[in-house]
Amino acid sequence: MELIWLSIIIPVLTAGVIAISPSKHARNTAFAGSLLSLAALALFAWNFPAWKAGTYFPMTAGAHWVHGAGVSLSVGFDTVSLLLALLTAFLMPLCILGSFTAITDRVKEFYGWFLVLGSSILLAFAARDAILFYIGYEFTLVPMTLIVAIYGGTERRVAAIKMFLYTFLGSMFMLAALLYVGWEHRIASGAWNFDIDALTATAVRLPSATQYWLFAALMIGFAVKVPLFPLHTWLPLAHDQAPTAGSVILASALLKLGTYGNYRFALPMAPAGGAELMNVVAVLSIIAIIYASLICWVQTDAKKLIAYSSIAHLGLCMLGLFALNPMGAEGAVFYMVNHGLSTGALFLCIGMFYERYHTKDTDVLGGLAKRMPVWSCFMVFFTLASIGLPGLNGFVGEFLCLGGTFIAEHDANSGYPGVLGPWYAIVAGLGLIFAAMYLLILLGKIVWGPLREPHGDVSHGSHAAAPALPSDLGLREIAVLMPIAIACLWLGVQPKPMLDAISPCAQRMLVNYPAQVERVMAESIPVAPTPVITSMKTTLKVP
Amino acid sequence: MNGELSIPQVVIAPELAWVGLAILLPLLSAVVCAICGALRVKNKLPAIVTALALAISFVIIVQAYFAYSGPVQVPIFQWMTFQWGAGGPFHSFTANCSLYIDSLTLYWMLFVTGLGTLITIYASEYMEGDRGSGYSRFFFGISIFLFAMSALVLGDNLAMLYLGWEGVGLASYLLIGYNYDRPSAVAAAKKAFIMNRVGDLGLALGIFMLWANYGTIQYSELFAAMNSGGQSAVDWHISVIPFLLMLGAFGKSAQIPLFTWLPDAMEGPTPVSALIHAATMVTAGVYLIARLYPFFELHPEALATVAWIGCATALLAATIGMAQYDIKRVFAYSTISQLGYMFLGLGVGTTFGACYHTLTHAFFKALLFLTAGAIMHGFAGQLDLRKLSGLRHVAGWRIVSWTMFVGCLWLSAFPYTAAFFSKDAILLQALTSARADFRFLGWMGLFTAALTAYYTFRVWFRVCAGPVHFEAGSEGHHDHDDGHHAQDRRDAPGTHATFHPHAPRWAINGVLLILAIGALAVGLPAYKTVFMHEDNWAQQMIAHSSAYEGAGLADAHGHSDAPTPTMLGMDAHTGLTVVGSTASVGGILVAWFFHLRSRKSADQLRAALLRRWWLGWIPTAMEHKWYVDQIYHALFRLPMWIGAQILNFGDRHFLDGVLVDGIAKIPLALGRVFRPLYSGALQGYAVTMAGGVALVLAWASWVWLRGVH
Amino acid sequence: MSEALSSAFTIAAPTQISIALAISAILFSLGLIGFLCRRNLIIMFLCTELMFQGAALAMIAFARMRMDVSGQVFVIFILTVAAAEAALALGLVVLLYRRRETLNSEAWADLGES
Repeated sequence: MELIWLSIIIPVLTAGVIAISPSKHARNTAFAGSLLSLAALALFAWNFPAWKAGTYFPMTAGAHWVHGAGVSLSVGFDTVSLLLALLTAFLMPLCILGSFTAITDRVKEFYGWFLVLGSSILLAFAARDAILFYIGYEFTLVPMTLIVAIYGGTERRVAAIKMFLYTFLGSMFMLAALLYVGWEHRIASGAWNFDIDALTATAVRLPSATQYWLFAALMIGFAVKVPLFPLHTWLPLAHDQAPTAGSVILASALLKLGTYGNYRFALPMAPAGGAELMNVVAVLSIIAIIYASLICWVQTDAKKLIAYSSIAHLGLCMLGLFALNPMGAEGAVFYMVNHGLSTGALFLCIGMFYERYHTKDTDVLGGLAKRMPVWSCFMVFFTLASIGLPGLNGFVGEFLCLGGTFIAEHDANSGYPGVLGPWYAIVAGLGLIFAAMYLLILLGKIVWGPLREPHGDVSHGSHAAAPALPSDLGLREIAVLMPIAIACLWLGVQPKPMLDAISPCAQRMLVNYPAQVERVMAESIPVAPTPVITSMKTTLKVP
Repeated sequence: MNGELSIPQVVIAPELAWVGLAILLPLLSAVVCAICGALRVKNKLPAIVTALALAISFVIIVQAYFAYSGPVQVPIFQWMTFQWGAGGPFHSFTANCSLYIDSLTLYWMLFVTGLGTLITIYASEYMEGDRGSGYSRFFFGISIFLFAMSALVLGDNLAMLYLGWEGVGLASYLLIGYNYDRPSAVAAAKKAFIMNRVGDLGLALGIFMLWANYGTIQYSELFAAMNSGGQSAVDWHISVIPFLLMLGAFGKSAQIPLFTWLPDAMEGPTPVSALIHAATMVTAGVYLIARLYPFFELHPEALATVAWIGCATALLAATIGMAQYDIKRVFAYSTISQLGYMFLGLGVGTTFGACYHTLTHAFFKALLFLTAGAIMHGFAGQLDLRKLSGLRHVAGWRIVSWTMFVGCLWLSAFPYTAAFFSKDAILLQALTSARADFRFLGWMGLFTAALTAYYTFRVWFRVCAGPVHFEAGSEGHHDHDDGHHAQDRRDAPGTHATFHPHAPRWAINGVLLILAIGALAVGLPAYKTVFMHEDNWAQQMIAHSSAYEGAGLADAHGHSDAPTPTMLGMDAHTGLTVVGSTASVGGILVAWFFHLRSRKSADQLRAALLRRWWLGWIPTAMEHKWYVDQIYHALFRLPMWIGAQILNFGDRHFLDGVLVDGIAKIPLALGRVFRPLYSGALQGYAVTMAGGVALVLAWASWVWLRGVH
Repeated sequence: MSEALSSAFTIAAPTQISIALAISAILFSLGLIGFLCRRNLIIMFLCTELMFQGAALAMIAFARMRMDVSGQVFVIFILTVAAAEAALALGLVVLLYRRRETLNSEAWADLGES
């Protein structure tokens, strides 16, 4: 408990220290602060009792904050949120280390706001109280907007404003839904209480029609953040304009708030709505996969390409989540972490060559394997992780998400019926092919091929803005990428501990679903299979 | 359903974990190679380490072969495994890092590790010009390949198979793109990976379908389900399984419709072409079908589809191979064609024939590629068969010429060579089948055999026989394989008067000789059958695995029990021997006439064909590979690319520009409406306020008055 | 409320209330009209004071009518606030005058949107 608060507060305190100390110490202070925060969280995770047992929110202490309103300052983790918080805390120092040479102006403000951003993400993951979650969730926008608007590219203001307004608008629906559930809870129990468990217990008892709208409202809020297909347009712009560290945290941690929100709020709170809308979300996710993949294919801006690939990858993650069976849910949670690692690393890689060449255009830059062999190794590695090569982390999540979708059929033997099935998986699976296409094309352009460097910049490494950079990666940059690479490899080879940790949480999230999905299927017009075949099949299927 | 043909029970044998070293050792050698690369090691250490690791793997497999007594499952560690509810089938997903060892596994691993070792030794000399730069990377790729291939074959579940499946794809990608500054190599690597991904998707979906129907993806449990009568084609779910798996096999083994990547893959260094794109990786598709053979009988037409596709691929690739001038491309198309035979064999029901052909093919095709590589190595990248001639008369090239001759004889299935027997087994099964369409396929296979003999010896008669004449390769063409010849090339204006070919040394010659002997040796089981009427070793290996020859389609255990089928009025065996020999020798004779005795007549024939409008298109189309690449481009790539451009434009300008920004304009427009009220003049605000107060008052009075009435 | 104090209040006649209300309305309207028509900042300020007093008078009248002192308490409060406000506002007016050498309110339309 104290360790959780420490890990949340240390970055903010560090930001305060940075504000009052001279700017030449800012980056080292920030790095130290983020490391401390990671250490606190890691220490907590080390002693976390629930890895095997899969306890749900084991920490119960928490002081009431706004007394009459039932808002409490209670924090705690289950394994899923702890994994995501660890991911965030793990990437923070790496991002800061990666920004050492990239940020030269307004250094103090950058690191200060960046640390505040980290804190608020951690708060959102750790919150046990819906309002506390909302505060963390919403407050991320402030530092993120500042980071994009001050340190971004040429269109940074538009990007920042669009990001802020778009996601803020979505969050309003979510807040309304949470307040509504709180109100229902007050009606039911006589007192305001925004404890997530209490809210969930109240919400699942609401009538189906109410749950439908509740789910829709929560879904809109989180879908913007994920982002799901028609609500995604803020993301490529924001990614394109954000500085490298901002992009990394945006892709790795901020977007995960959306999927995490689905896992924590939308799905468990409104099972009736979730069961009814699962095919809608699934179809949108599949559209996102195909649509974003195709767009990736014709991007010439490396960063935009990765941004669109994020949309496609998270589409697959959402698809797995909305398969509403343990296989899909495990895959989805696993995929959240994986995507954070591999996409974050890809953004870091792109940032590294951007620092050297000041372009992300794959038409003017290419064949860097000759010039930057070490960088190329990392780039190829992370691209392969992102493609989902077995043995690396991406595969496990991808495979389970697709598999979960595939088996989410009417008459699934897994005990978790669904309305998706092979056809959904086949169409979504095309995304696997497309992913290989666009990422290998990116590799073929910037890593392989004859060396192409921007005109007038052949004296690489002696560029005015980055005088200290060697032509290939330096030790500091290797130190940024190496931990992520190790994590990718480790999770690919040994996913079992993490799968075991996720498993009870995923099952707990889905506890109401088999019944609800069956209800929905019974209510819709049945596509009656002839009884003969059904009976034959049941006899055949049991080995 | 097939009680007497049930797959043997599996024993759990943790004590056999040492076989897992066959997977681990290549991985360790990959790590060593990576470290060598990082340290810029300039000696042959990576090659030595790799060769050593592979040799030990081979010894381990041999050891396992002698220790083998029945199918075993060897648990090593848990990988992607979890469960829900009560666990068990349908309530768990079990994909462990475990081994499944039966005779089929051992059969495959024996030639994979054996050939891997030999080709690594060959490559240690072949690649020596790249020491210090790409040498470590090359052997890293080879090690990764062997690791993945071993995982593919040894894995006890389909997820492990998938891991290997994609892993060999990765190795293939890295090695085809070995010369990464050559755009054609990069494009070829990309193409190979992406086309394989199409197949991989089929395989992945097949795996999901198996899980959805059997609740497990472990071989032992799947086969147990099969033994207890899980075979039926009642439900489309079950009957679609073979077709999905088939797609994966077709992608990896370069069959129609996914074959166009393999010829392009020849951009890689020749040892890679020999090991990955001829002998081992491309046979993974055959392995998959053989391994899951019972499941291919779930739908009656599944195996027939395999047969048809295999035969069509064999014929198509042979026709293309006839019209190519690049030696490696000819061999690449011959690989596709021979793989087609294997699929034909699987399809018509002789897994033995298919697997035996895989074995013989692995040896003679590796041999052929390695001789082509030796030529390329010595002649500065020259591979055009029109520009090389009479090599057998050049000093230092005799071993290459004659081992190539052996390879060509085998490839053209010359009577009483090993490949003759293996091809014979396939064609015999097809020709004596009860199904008319299979008999037709058999005849097509015979026709293709004649074509094969022709194009194979076209190469040999052109390159190794005839008057001595050669030109050095151009600098830009394949020159990266032998960078140490840069000096030679600069001196050579392109004629043999000044160009001194660089004859191969012991490693290359030695490996060629061993392979030639190996090609002879793999015929031994067949000779024993023919002359001593003993059981064929390969047949024993196959028949006691899950690839038992299926029910209904073929007579499973030897043909002695069945009524002897006849062919052309003779006993089928004799008949096929006669016809097959005729096809092979006839093809060789035609090649001899056109490409050795009277080379002018070949050009005259070609010119004569081209002159006739109704025939001229055939050689042109064959030379252009029947325009398959162009058709795919027009059918898939181009529409998708246009669609992607439209979507990209729509995303920026419609979805974001019109819809999102449009919604953002609503508050803006509302603001415009009320904007004049905020003039900045104090009185203006006051008037607004007073007006507002007045309105409120008026409304209140109206409500009050209504209340009064 | 002590006995003595409450006896000092007697129920006012309705006519007296209406007279007081009428005066308050007149005061308020005069202030409003003045505020709307004049441009001199000081006069405008005086007019707001007039409106204030109109409102205060209405409050006293109603307090008298309902025999509730809280209205009168409010008025005293308003007077205090108005005094403070007058000091502040006149100070501001002086400042504004120093900036632009005029007391015309139209000179200060910088916050306008159009």
